Amino acid sequence: MSRKLLINILSIIFLAAVIIALPITLGSVYWTSILVIMGINILLVSSLRTLKLVGHISLGHVGFSLIGAYGSALLLMKVGISFWIAIFLGGLMAAVIALALAYPFLRVKGIYFVLLTLLTAETFRLIARYWPSLTGGVWGLLRIPPPNPITIPVIGTITFDSVNNYYYLAAVIVSLSLFVLYRLERSRLGFKWRVIQDSEVLAQSVGINVMWHKALNFTIASFFAGIAGALFAHYQHALSPQPTARFGLLASVYLIVYMVVGGESKFAGPIIGTVFLTMVSELARGLEEYRPIMIGAIAILTMLFMPEGLIGLPKRVKLWYRKLLKPKRRVQCPT
Amino acid sequence: MDLPAQVWVQAIVNGLALGWLYVLMALGLTLIMSIMGILQLAHGEVYMIGAYVTYYCCVSFGVNFYAAMFISMVVMAVFGIFMEKFLFRPVRTQILSPIVISLGLTLILMGSAVVGFGLYERSIPRLAQGSFVFLGSAVPKDRIIAVGFAVALLLLLYLFLKKSKYGQAMVASAQSREGALLRGINPNLMSSMAMAIGCALAAAAGTLAGSILMLSPSMGTFPLLKGLVIIVLGGMGSLLGATIGGIFLGVIDGVIPVAFGPAVASMAPLIIVIIILLVRPQGLFGHE
Repeated sequence: MSRKLLINILSIIFLAAVIIALPITLGSVYWTSILVIMGINILLVSSLRTLKLVGHISLGHVGFSLIGAYGSALLLMKVGISFWIAIFLGGLMAAVIALALAYPFLRVKGIYFVLLTLLTAETFRLIARYWPSLTGGVWGLLRIPPPNPITIPVIGTITFDSVNNYYYLAAVIVSLSLFVLYRLERSRLGFKWRVIQDSEVLAQSVGINVMWHKALNFTIASFFAGIAGALFAHYQHALSPQPTARFGLLASVYLIVYMVVGGESKFAGPIIGTVFLTMVSELARGLEEYRPIMIGAIAILTMLFMPEGLIGLPKRVKLWYRKLLKPKRRVQCPT
Repeated sequence: MDLPAQVWVQAIVNGLALGWLYVLMALGLTLIMSIMGILQLAHGEVYMIGAYVTYYCCVSFGVNFYAAMFISMVVMAVFGIFMEKFLFRPVRTQILSPIVISLGLTLILMGSAVVGFGLYERSIPRLAQGSFVFLGSAVPKDRIIAVGFAVALLLLLYLFLKKSKYGQAMVASAQSREGALLRGINPNLMSSMAMAIGCALAAAAGTLAGSILMLSPSMGTFPLLKGLVIIVLGGMGSLLGATIGGIFLGVIDGVIPVAFGPAVASMAPLIIVIIILLVRPQGLFGHE
């Protein structure tokens, strides 16, 4: 056990070192900004996977991220609340709206939930589009200020105007959020969620309040979507309600694809999927128009030939390897 | 609201014309959903490609509009059969996989349309010029022809499902896959047929919409959403529900922006759907 703990600690230190060193080694603002967006996407996809723990697939996760983004940006711009509270309140707004929608949404069967979340996200986007006095309407919300600078006694004042500093801020917030999501999944609550996914009847029979736990799951996932949205808003300094922009239907599609290509059975799946597909689409920069086709093809091929995603690749390779080496081996029954 | 009566009539007429096109989308979606049990989210892209097929037949090859529409429906039906056989049949029993595959298809088809057809908007030649005057407001003739087509297709589908052997087999397959199998109905054939009919209807809807409105690679998203709302309103697998839901939604789409402005109009479908789900989760005309 202690050896496992040591490995865990070492790997966390290694990961932290990689996260800290990445912008320095890549050394360009362009790559750092890609990393920031990737981090935000990782948080979004991971919270999408939290929903999958109770067996729900959402096509409307960007909708809640939109609530967080506009909420946090507007609180900062119109009310004048500090960023550090506004980002939290942005997430909270998304969570409260999710909780309010949970009852009608969760009463229906799985396929309807997909459909309803899709409709919700599109509705939120259209509200942002057609409420010009609050959200800036079709031109979007512009000139969103960066996070307020913080003063730490020994180091001094840190501002977040530059991409580099924002990267570290995003890295801290995303890592903390991922840690919370991970702990939740491993907690008693996460265990109950999994029971609900396996069998609702079983869950009810052992005294789990299925409706409440599903609602809680939806709320938590939406909270982190809201946080991710707020992070995006203060990074991009502008929000657009256009269908092709950040909060359109296609954005939701990409989130689902990231999740399944990585593999939704393990916590690391969404992270691997997001990193992999971000790299693929960055490598294909010259083929700008062909990018959606490539990502779509990867999604379909993954589903047809490797439904467990990239996370299942080692196991699959091991199986192929065994088949290659020992083709005629008989399976022996354990006595 | 003291708007003149013509504005209201105009709003309702416009809404109804589009509502009928959404009915065609919803019929295809509900057919696919109830027989195959999958959510076909690439249906909007089938609609878009169908419209482009008609456009190219009409404009590049000079085919008559009605013939072009027929060609487009056949092409998309064949495309649907291929989709069903190679993409959806292997993963039919799962929940997540068909959704992801249809989303992947959405990306591929939309991306291909951007590459192949370009981003600028085009228009299929108008069905008819001029307009009637009805209750003091102008009703364009092309909309009436489009609605006529939609109604005719709906009636054909209804007759097919009620009167023909294959139609009855499809209904049986939708009601109980195992039961249909026991009576010697091939479920794979039924799935292919559902997909073919659904895609042909989407192609027809796309063509008609393309002749009224504009063609663009992203034209399919909106009708897909409308079709899904109609299914929730009318209830899964119900022709009558889809028709009435579509007309209802069309009228709402026409009237609410005029009465309350676009912000309320964008919220209306979600609110209506939530109310319906709270009162009648199976939809207005659905059954368990």
